[in-house]
Amino acid sequence: MKEKPYRSVPLKPGEITPKHLYSTRRQFMKQIGVVGLGALLASCAPANSGDPGALGMVLPGASGEDPADVLTAYEAVTGYCNFYEFTTNKETVDELAQDFVTQPWSVQVDGLVDRPKAYSMEDILAKFTQEERIYRMRCVEGWSMVIPWTGFPLRQLLEEVQPTSDARYVAFETALVPDQMDGARSRMFPFPYTEGLRLDEALHDLTILATGLYDEPLPPQNGAPIRLVVPWKYGFKSIKSIVRISLVAEQPPTLWNTIAPNEYGFYANVNPAVDHPRWSQATERRIGESGRRDTLLMNGYAEEVMPLYEGMDLTVDF
Amino acid sequence: MTDRSHRSIHSQWGRTIAHLLGGVPLILLGWQLVQGRLGFNPVESVLRWTGRLALGLLLLSLSVTPIRKIFKISAISAMRKPLGLYAALYAFIHFSVFALWDYQLNIRQIYLEISNKPFILLGMIALLILLVLAATSFRFWQRKLGRKWVWLHRSVYAAALLVILHYLLAVKGDLFSLQGAYTAPLIAAGILLLLLILRIPAIQQCLRPTFTQQEPDQPASD
Repeated sequence: MKEKPYRSVPLKPGEITPKHLYSTRRQFMKQIGVVGLGALLASCAPANSGDPGALGMVLPGASGEDPADVLTAYEAVTGYCNFYEFTTNKETVDELAQDFVTQPWSVQVDGLVDRPKAYSMEDILAKFTQEERIYRMRCVEGWSMVIPWTGFPLRQLLEEVQPTSDARYVAFETALVPDQMDGARSRMFPFPYTEGLRLDEALHDLTILATGLYDEPLPPQNGAPIRLVVPWKYGFKSIKSIVRISLVAEQPPTLWNTIAPNEYGFYANVNPAVDHPRWSQATERRIGESGRRDTLLMNGYAEEVMPLYEGMDLTVDF
Repeated sequence: MTDRSHRSIHSQWGRTIAHLLGGVPLILLGWQLVQGRLGFNPVESVLRWTGRLALGLLLLSLSVTPIRKIFKISAISAMRKPLGLYAALYAFIHFSVFALWDYQLNIRQIYLEISNKPFILLGMIALLILLVLAATSFRFWQRKLGRKWVWLHRSVYAAALLVILHYLLAVKGDLFSLQGAYTAPLIAAGILLLLLILRIPAIQQCLRPTFTQQEPDQPASD
């Protein structure tokens, strides 16, 4: 059995930094200690990557000059969101999503499974231990963040419902509530938002269902109350506000792939060598920092996930 | 010293409005920049705003002549040049933000962005046209180039077309099925199409009953 490539960090009361201290990155770094962050992220790194960065962290693909991966400020994580059901303006989603009802909530898990079930959030939080996962998030638009999610591996949920041997893919669907979502009836997007993963991608340890960030429940604009986070893929794969998870035999349709299949692939793996047809994916802008940084293969998780794609041509299956 | 006594009070007003339309957003942007109130992705915000302002002011400038002909307000022609110059200014700032602030003059990365992808190149060509037009917008050049000046300045339509293509290529979605974030660029394309249609002599013939003065197409007098 492959050794786990990172440590899950269960939250201890002493480690929880009061939220008001999150408001500036510098203050946060002082409180929790950059080395602590570095250890969490460095344990995602392959042992033989580049030179250590300035703070002693070894990041995959990093040269000694690349800046470290610092947590993106809470305000930015919750204030800059793509959630087109509300609006295409990233900075007003928080306001517009305020009245989004996330309680009660039900996640229907069905399809090719032996034990389909509708989970309430209480079921989920009771059954599955939530842990902190600090991940990079890279949007296809060319910006990125580092976000401390709270969640659990999707694998644990799937193991409970027991996929049959015919199941090859996992399909996801977002809630669509026109009364609460101003943009839900837009003719320019074939809502409801759908996404999908190959079963082995869904079962991978890095793939989580997130229920919180920065030690708090997910705010509506970030996909409350439960969303997917697949850190080695472009952000649009990390579907928000999930109401349905289905095990299926055929590759399921996904919203962006339906809109523009030659631009937004099913796999959507972060890859600086595979450009978007109209713009380059070689660099990205880290929110909160100036300048640009080189984009990393698989968003820096190459060692953990490349085995999933052995034998595949990533320029064809993008 | 040029004799400006022929300028009417209405032309002065027109020019003032043009300077307000062009100058106030610049002051607002500068103010927000200094205050650090440009949001979480300030480079993106400034690129988006300078791009929209450049395109908007360009379309406004292109609508001066049709409005003048349809509504018979001759004083409005004084607005055409300042609006056009502001459009060129915002386009230049837009490009500078991309090359200096975003890519920090990293030639390798900039080259990666523009090689074999038309999106940025189209914008750069449009900017070049606008800068040439801005540089030759003075009366000195009008006299020096004569009829060629008019011909040269008609390339503003090519610039507008390139800018709209640049915008269409920048947003997420599929143009042919009109799926994605296409609202703003499509509105701009619609306006440009309308303005182009209004330049066609045959169309002008149809609208001629609404004109009281049949003025030949002339460059602005200042």
